[in-house]
Amino acid sequence: MTQRLVLPRIRIGASAPKAAARVLPVLAGHVPPDCQEAARAGGFSGAAGTACDILGPTGRKLLVGLGAAPNEDAHRLAGALAASRLNKVGRIAIDATALLPDNAAAFALGAALRAWRPDGFQTIPDPDGPSLAAIDLLSTAPGIEAAWQRAAAVLAGSCLARDLVTEPSASLTPQGFIDRLAPLEKAGVQITVLRRRDLEREGLGCLLAVGRGSEHRPRLVILRLPGAIETQPIAFVGKGITFDTGGICIKPADRMWEMRADMAGAAACAGVMLTLALRGSPAPAVAILALAENAIGEDSYRPGDVLTSFSGKTVEVVDTDAEGRLVLADALAYAASRLRPAAIVDLATLTGSIVTALGHEMAGLFTNDPALAAHVAAAGAQTGERAWRMPISAVQRSDLDSDIADLRHCLSGRLQPDACHAAAFLREFVGDTPWVHLDIAGVESRETADDAHAHGATGFGVRLLDRLVSLRFEDPHQA
Amino acid sequence: MLDISFSKSALPKTGALVLLVDDHLTADLLPATDEATGGAISRAFAAAEFKGKAGTTCVILAPGAGLSRVVAVGIGKADALTGKIAEEAGGHAVVHLNRDAAATVAAGGLTVELAAHVALGAALRSYRFDRYRTTEKAEDKPKLAKLAVLAASPAKAKEAWVPLKAIADGVVLTRDLVSEPANILNPAEMADRCRALESLGLKVEVLGPKELTKLGFGALLGVSQGSANEPRVVVMQWHGLSGEPVKPKKGAKAEPRPQPVAFIGKGVTFDTGGISIKPAGGMEDMKWDMAGAGAVVGLMAALAGRRAKVDAVGIVGLVENMPSGTAMRPGDVVKSYSGQTIEVLNTDAEGRLVLADVLAYCAATYNPRFMVDLATLTGAMIVSLGHEYGGFFSNDDTLAQQLHAAGEATGELLWRLPLADAYDKQLKSDIADMKNITGRPGSAITAAQFIKRFVGSTTWAHLDVAGVVWSTKDAATTPKGATAYGVRLLDRLVADHYEG
Repeated sequence: MTQRLVLPRIRIGASAPKAAARVLPVLAGHVPPDCQEAARAGGFSGAAGTACDILGPTGRKLLVGLGAAPNEDAHRLAGALAASRLNKVGRIAIDATALLPDNAAAFALGAALRAWRPDGFQTIPDPDGPSLAAIDLLSTAPGIEAAWQRAAAVLAGSCLARDLVTEPSASLTPQGFIDRLAPLEKAGVQITVLRRRDLEREGLGCLLAVGRGSEHRPRLVILRLPGAIETQPIAFVGKGITFDTGGICIKPADRMWEMRADMAGAAACAGVMLTLALRGSPAPAVAILALAENAIGEDSYRPGDVLTSFSGKTVEVVDTDAEGRLVLADALAYAASRLRPAAIVDLATLTGSIVTALGHEMAGLFTNDPALAAHVAAAGAQTGERAWRMPISAVQRSDLDSDIADLRHCLSGRLQPDACHAAAFLREFVGDTPWVHLDIAGVESRETADDAHAHGATGFGVRLLDRLVSLRFEDPHQA
Repeated sequence: MLDISFSKSALPKTGALVLLVDDHLTADLLPATDEATGGAISRAFAAAEFKGKAGTTCVILAPGAGLSRVVAVGIGKADALTGKIAEEAGGHAVVHLNRDAAATVAAGGLTVELAAHVALGAALRSYRFDRYRTTEKAEDKPKLAKLAVLAASPAKAKEAWVPLKAIADGVVLTRDLVSEPANILNPAEMADRCRALESLGLKVEVLGPKELTKLGFGALLGVSQGSANEPRVVVMQWHGLSGEPVKPKKGAKAEPRPQPVAFIGKGVTFDTGGISIKPAGGMEDMKWDMAGAGAVVGLMAALAGRRAKVDAVGIVGLVENMPSGTAMRPGDVVKSYSGQTIEVLNTDAEGRLVLADVLAYCAATYNPRFMVDLATLTGAMIVSLGHEYGGFFSNDDTLAQQLHAAGEATGELLWRLPLADAYDKQLKSDIADMKNITGRPGSAITAAQFIKRFVGSTTWAHLDVAGVVWSTKDAATTPKGATAYGVRLLDRLVADHYEG
């Protein structure tokens, strides 16, 4: 089976003779004179989140509202709205002549991300389906090329993450995931893979246990970008369960298919490394991907088993379906002790509890370092990948006391604050390293498309982490 | 409640003695007690490896000198002693004082304020709801009735105790209301107990079904219509700042009076879920689905009891949610007090219907500075935060910061959760202005968004307290059962920012 995920081509230029529709970003109250009559009829004044589709004698024109004082992310959202309205037009032109380069690039990025489609496995063409395949970005502003290079790096990273999340688990096994990292290597990322014997020698007992039930063996992948600044790297750690049956504590059948996305944290880490490499970030960065399939097999790990983690701490397994925190425990401890990072941010589709708490609009953010947390939250707010701070209480930590091991990894029973328990568990493995944990269950994919989001994988985390690096880790004087 | 008195520091002749011991093993009366008992106390400390760490205790039975027992309670570092640690010490002490009718706490080494906080902790922890235990043997009942607190200045300590006692009384009132079974505490009974607070100087107005129908409380009445027990809305006003009560007239021009602060409580005296009936397991817990209202009643009693210099209004919406032939059905549309219509898709999402009417009525009638509502609203909140934090939402960052700080100060912790348009959109109904439920994802947030539609531009915070009003474990100043969460928190909010 070949995969062909669809992303429009972007071309920067001064004119677009082949475009079938023209997109015009409009500030609130600044509808161009030649469109005012149509805008009035359509009730359009340039408010954010609104658009006006004009089929005039000189061709199709879509006015897209930017609101009164739009920031960069408002431009991204307006671009998404444009692509959602024109997704059945083969080629569109974005008239960005009035926009600053960064805003023009954000607009085009939003359009491209919205136009992405996860239909690469469909063999029967849908003549009525979306067909947007090319975007002309009209701008002659100095700096537009550089601005788009940065945005294109984000686009490439986001789409790598989305493609990984979309691919079914039959081919996207732990090794299959690694096989798809070729674009990173090409972009200059160093890739190290720890296989079963390495993991045994190093003592990553939790990761090995989770992967034991599957014939697709677990892997730990280390991605490195040396950067240009002499300082400790920022480390990203991603949960990469390529399929999660729940193991012996098997999940209900309904919606189990969604578990092919249980590697979205690792996908986002790989995606942001690609972004940083492509845009030549000076910040040294590493990513650790904990890849395993949580399958049911004759050698599966069991509830009640006690595992010895990489850190040396012993863990009593309560529920084999809480496997994400086990693979992260080893990956976090490995990152903290072997890579000496300045900070760690981990991403994981970790708990149903966080979906109950925050729904599909925000990720849960847990930390041992309020300053780092504030930077992560700010990066999320600036890029539209929002994260909301959640607590880890002393009681939630003591809830994890085990009768026979150093820790148990979750609690049984319903109505548990499982997202907080998971974070309290992970904190035990990062030592003193400043750390943020993003529980991205609920935001890694969208069930339906809307004005702002394509249907399917979101690539959540790539934009946020890329912005975090540029906000906090690229200043050589702060290092 | 415990009878608390204050007197000069002197070794008692009989009964139990509590020593408050810091981490240098120094305490008021410790040398005198040790001498009178021939060194029994210091020997016991050494044998038990008692180091005065906060939260630890050492109990010495019949040490001599006529004392029945000495209870040493650790308070940790003397210079880091806070009101909260003092309260917890008082709470830890009374656990060991059940066998004596009278006990003495040696708090002469503490400031008078901290001595009063020790008394508060003891009073709060000694709470027991035992009015329905008819066969319990006398010897099994805790005997402690009187606690003498020895203080450097008894008169000043008593002065510090007076407002704290009012708060303790409020907490006890709330715990009683929350603990009462639902066959006793129906809306009418709870309204009667509110009415009794007139003795504290509160102005209490009770609205029954006739008034509520006339006013147009269609959402609240919808919830209540399946029950044989009629609904009540109780308005309690405290005019600690402006003096005599005002009679608000709808539409009349308001006199230049201080805007009151307003507290609104969800009071579902029992929640079966209605036609969307709940599973049987754990349904007994639904007697405390009025704990938000219970906290508002206790809070108003505390404010009045300590003569707080504030104008405050507390409003509780009291209903029972029952399935019956007259009950509201899933799919019904009700018209709220605000005029907005609600499609009821699940009759077990009833708390927000009650709050919708009460909040809109409060905003329209009392022009409050702010409204804070408390409600045991969603199971989602327990899954979000567990049992240590109440979750809260606000349309005002200043009020949110004040609430958060009051939580830290009183130990009734709060954690803020988000509001955003993307959540609000999920309330869209096909046939009415909104529906009353969304899917499970983010459902505590969407419940808050629902309520927000009824507060208009009033400064507001919503406290979802489903996880914190009832405890299955003893804590230092809260025996298991009803916690009265919210009373101390909101009293502190008023005291720190809205008095005078």
